[in-house]
Amino acid sequence: MGDLTFRGGVHPEQRKELTAGKPFFPLRPEGELVFLTNQHIGKPAEPVVAKGDYVLAGQRIAQASGFVSANIVSSVSGTVKAVEPRPTAAGGMAQAIVIVPDGKDTLAQGIGQPTDYKRLSNQEILDRVKNAGIVGMGGAGFPTHVKLTVKEPEKIRYVIANGAECEPYITCDDQLMRSHPAEIAEGLEILLRLFPQARGVVCIENNKPQAIAAMENACRGHEKISVLPLKTKYPQGGERALISVVAGRHLRLGMLPADAGCVVDNVATVRAVYRAVCFNEPLMERGVTVSGDSVENPGNFWVKIGTGSQELVDACGGWKEGLEPEKILSGGPMMGIALSGLDVPVCKNNNAITALPVDPVAEEPVTACLRCGRCNRVCPLGLSPQLMQVAAQRRDYERYEKRLFGLECIACGCCSYICPAKRPLMQLFKVTKAEIMAAKKK
Amino acid sequence: MRELLHLSSAPHDRGSLSTKTVMRDVLLALLPTAVLGIWAHGWYAGFIMLVSIAAAVVTEYLFNLATKRGNTIGDASAVVTGLLLALTLPAQVPVYVPVLGAVFAILVVKCLFGGLGHNIMNPALAGRSFLLISFGASMTGYTLDGVSAATPLAEAAAGRSVDVVAMALGNTSGVIGSSALGLLAGGIYLLLSRGITWEIPTATIGSAAAFLALFGGHGLDPAYLVPQLLGGGLLMAAFFMATDPVTGPSTTKGQLLYGALTGVLIGLFRVKGNAADSTTYAVLLANLFGNLIDELFIPVPYGFRIPKEFKKAIPKPVSILLVITLIAGAVLSGVYVTTSDRIARNSERANQAAYRSVVPGAESFRSLELAQETAGTTQIQKVLAGLDGSGQTLGYAIAVHNSQSYDGGLTLVVGILPDGTVTGIHFTELHETAGMGMRCGEPEFTRQFENVNVPAFALGKGTAGGHGTIDSVAGATVSSTAVVDAVNAALAYFAANLK
Repeated sequence: MGDLTFRGGVHPEQRKELTAGKPFFPLRPEGELVFLTNQHIGKPAEPVVAKGDYVLAGQRIAQASGFVSANIVSSVSGTVKAVEPRPTAAGGMAQAIVIVPDGKDTLAQGIGQPTDYKRLSNQEILDRVKNAGIVGMGGAGFPTHVKLTVKEPEKIRYVIANGAECEPYITCDDQLMRSHPAEIAEGLEILLRLFPQARGVVCIENNKPQAIAAMENACRGHEKISVLPLKTKYPQGGERALISVVAGRHLRLGMLPADAGCVVDNVATVRAVYRAVCFNEPLMERGVTVSGDSVENPGNFWVKIGTGSQELVDACGGWKEGLEPEKILSGGPMMGIALSGLDVPVCKNNNAITALPVDPVAEEPVTACLRCGRCNRVCPLGLSPQLMQVAAQRRDYERYEKRLFGLECIACGCCSYICPAKRPLMQLFKVTKAEIMAAKKK
Repeated sequence: MRELLHLSSAPHDRGSLSTKTVMRDVLLALLPTAVLGIWAHGWYAGFIMLVSIAAAVVTEYLFNLATKRGNTIGDASAVVTGLLLALTLPAQVPVYVPVLGAVFAILVVKCLFGGLGHNIMNPALAGRSFLLISFGASMTGYTLDGVSAATPLAEAAAGRSVDVVAMALGNTSGVIGSSALGLLAGGIYLLLSRGITWEIPTATIGSAAAFLALFGGHGLDPAYLVPQLLGGGLLMAAFFMATDPVTGPSTTKGQLLYGALTGVLIGLFRVKGNAADSTTYAVLLANLFGNLIDELFIPVPYGFRIPKEFKKAIPKPVSILLVITLIAGAVLSGVYVTTSDRIARNSERANQAAYRSVVPGAESFRSLELAQETAGTTQIQKVLAGLDGSGQTLGYAIAVHNSQSYDGGLTLVVGILPDGTVTGIHFTELHETAGMGMRCGEPEFTRQFENVNVPAFALGKGTAGGHGTIDSVAGATVSSTAVVDAVNAALAYFAANLK
């Protein structure tokens, strides 16, 4: 039997060999650290420190300001330099807490104390996850305690640890599964306590045999947990793709994974849950891949949240002579955000910085649509990007939404990738979706 | 670091496929057919291809220039159109034919509709149908080695055996790109390189084969079916014409229906119509439904239903079009049914008059069986013996068709006495240029053939008639030559078979 997969999808060049197998290099920040208050989906966190305050590593510096929001802790000990707007990856500005480290990394009290999670109640587990400020570390940044607060926990049949890592260039999840497989398995076991009827499944694309072997080894003895190798195909790591493979169910707009009996968390998130529950350790550090042909020594780094991107690039030895980047991405080439500069910090959901000497988007001109239908064939949702494009350009939003189901688009970008005419389809769909949603709110 | 970084929406990677590589793959796939076409029909066929491609590219370039659009010839789609057009032409066409065809295909069919991606018909085939209408004679004057002959498809339809190996190599009377082997090889290459998908070719060939087997009148007889499938442009249509993404549907189910429609139309036109151009018109007709078919098969994601208001709206344009087509079809066939008898009667009466005028005194005519051989551009259509009351042969009336006239071919009846004297000629089909070629039909010209006994006529100037030298009609040498050749063909037939 071939490895499992979903319908559609594309095969972008992997380029994972640049960093695959490179162990995490612990990066000690030299300059100031910036903690953006909106580094998660939902309401920005409320700062609870002021300029001049001295903070310890692990100390809360911003408070969740609603149900869908997350706490933020300082990842170093040092002095608050400012609470002011700073640039974000998306291009705007957001309120941020700026801290100058004192280099001592003095931990706040109570952090690191081992706890047996089996003695904790479900509510205590959820509280620890919430206090630790854990959010989806695969990219979305959705507050994890919200995701785990399901109305009917007994209806959850699968807890999926997402180690697919289908995005090209990025290897930090691969590396985490190789270096900390037992912690991920334990984290999954903790999540299974919240959902008594569920089984744990670690999904990994089959281009990571070492990670699969390490996880299989670590899951031995965990009866309810299994490792599921998947075909290497983008967007295999997407929530919907995973659920369709594991549970055989398809999500539609407005449905949460829980509606299909699934909870999906990135492997890094699962490990963070383990650290938070068993060691009372808030989310302070994460693995980040710095890669791309512009980078002198690409590698994986163990980075304190808030560290400036420039420091990461410097740690790699800077840019290659003559191959300076034309495009720098927060994340990978398929879903990443193009950065206008390196003045943005590492956030909880930042898994990579990718620097490309040549921008493939600018390489070839956009030409007329041939109606070849390749976009239809790669769309993992079975939509018709070709017809959606025509409707969107004509602003026939009724047809776009009701006949072509355009709002279902998950913006994976497969259509833009495959298009021989190089049409920026996904961009058009994002804009159209935003316009339709804005019109609905009126 | 550079001062300015590129910013754009994700994804930041693009597949290796581009419009240019798609077109390059089509050209590569056509290569074997083009090479075999030159091998079978000579270097002139290659010249026709180059002329056609050049005309297509130059037309698109000039149109872009004139309308101040960005230059689009770089996408190589005009090259594909030019080559496809050339491959659907007979090898002996005059050089202006591909030029005009390519200009029409690119300018009218493609550019005026908005350029690549917006044309509603396949430019190459629309260009070909334009040429079929405008230059009927040279577009259907299929030859091999300079000799006109029936195409394998016509041979098979007439129940004669066909050399399948010659068809595979394209070494038959027909268009330049008629090699079944070359087309198949190209089609398989496109399938493997994912330039096209399997749905349209399979559905087209399958449904055409099924239709011909059911309604062709020969059942599953391979001697009939194999040439039908290998010839007549079916493979060209299945792999290169119907698969043109611009004019076809893009959904999988839509492509299956579209291919089936194309195949059935090809079969229908072959069984009930003129075999030679069935494919061209079948694909062009299917083109008109290409985009509408997609409307029927818009995929519906799991868990969704099409809202009512859209369910109703879908078939509306389709049904309107269908009704219009049905009414037009009914009117046309009604006209045909009510007039066909009269047309046949009238033409028979005209023929009888022609026979009588060239064999004076004959009371009845008896059809003689035709000797098989016909070579060159002239064709003996009918030979009749004119009989007097006692059944004695007074003379012969021979109907000859010559396709090499100025416009569309001419047909005339030659009267020949048993001693070989030509009594005169009478035209039954002549549509040359008014005031020039048409004057061939006037007595001043035809009189020169009356009561002359020579082995063959020759075209001359300034000599009196009677010696077998014919004064050409001024300014209509082509038409005059065609007449003389036709009469000479009749004389040659008489000498060989009746003397």
